Amino acid sequence: MNRSVVQADTRPGWFPCPANPRTMSGMSTAFLPGLREALGAAGVAMAATFLAFGAAAQEAGLSPGWALLACWGIYGMPGQLVLVQAAATGWAGGVGTAVMGAVAVNARFLPMAVSLTPVLSAGDRWRLLPAVPFIAVTPWAAAMRALPAIDRPSRIGWFLGFGLTSWLVAGTAALSGFFIAAALGPEARAALLFVNPLYYALLLAADLDKPAPRRAVLCGAAAAGLAFLLPPAMALLAAGLLGGSAAFLWGRRRATG
Amino acid sequence: MPPADLALVLTALACLGLRLVGVWLAGGMSTEHPAIAWATAVAQATLAAFVTLAIIAPAGALADVPLAARLAGLGAGVTVCLMNRRWLLPALLTGLVVMLGMRALV
Repeated sequence: MNRSVVQADTRPGWFPCPANPRTMSGMSTAFLPGLREALGAAGVAMAATFLAFGAAAQEAGLSPGWALLACWGIYGMPGQLVLVQAAATGWAGGVGTAVMGAVAVNARFLPMAVSLTPVLSAGDRWRLLPAVPFIAVTPWAAAMRALPAIDRPSRIGWFLGFGLTSWLVAGTAALSGFFIAAALGPEARAALLFVNPLYYALLLAADLDKPAPRRAVLCGAAAAGLAFLLPPAMALLAAGLLGGSAAFLWGRRRATG
Repeated sequence: MPPADLALVLTALACLGLRLVGVWLAGGMSTEHPAIAWATAVAQATLAAFVTLAIIAPAGALADVPLAARLAGLGAGVTVCLMNRRWLLPALLTGLVVMLGMRALV
């Protein structure tokens, strides 16, 4: 049975729903729309970033298998780059330091998983297990934008379609980048590295008409200044915690005031 | 085990652990729960901080691109996106083209 999509989640805090509602009947039919979504702007951003990563891994003396497994196992670009930089220095600071730095810059996975879980499913943790490896910035942002307009039973299927496709795009791009590293000049690398933050900026900008995301964006951008005071591995986590908490309290104060 | 492989395994396990802990913590909570609103704000603020740093003070090859070109690309992309919030891909390509154009000019 096909059911019309209901835009049920209109509270502040979520990315905007797509303007064209979709009709879906279950997990299997939602997989393909998720797949298609991942091949749009998200796929371009993903491919560009992971191409650059593959080239960096090659230059650091790592193997193509390592680059591929880093994409699929870590699936968080800042953490991947921390390890590549450590490899490029011959692990001079030690493996433990590199791992702690990589985990710290990818610590956003925790709040992202917390915020995504109730949107994906109504309380059943076990149903979410197949989706867990795909929780990363791009799938999270796309899901928060698209899922409120999709029937709840179909949401995991959509997320798996998006996540699996993104995963494959990332791995393929990283391998491609590894093998064409020598052909990528500084200009091409700069362009590839610019695509990723630009894509995230567009996702945030599309949400600026809602008060809660607007507060989070403003506070997060302001807190980014912490990067100049703290060690690089901790700066992003600290900026997110400080900016996000400030935005949350600002919203609560407005709600009660 | 070579250091690169050891670092990869440990980091992958830790990142998987972060995701699992997040899902476990939030399981059973409704989307209206204050903890979910807080986590969403933290995630969005982290993303905003990442974008800010990547544009204002990037590392690597992007640091060689003049700030004016990075800001122009960002501004052009965001402008197209705000004209129509579904135009993510055109906005992305516009921002990239403007950044490269400005880089060539500056």
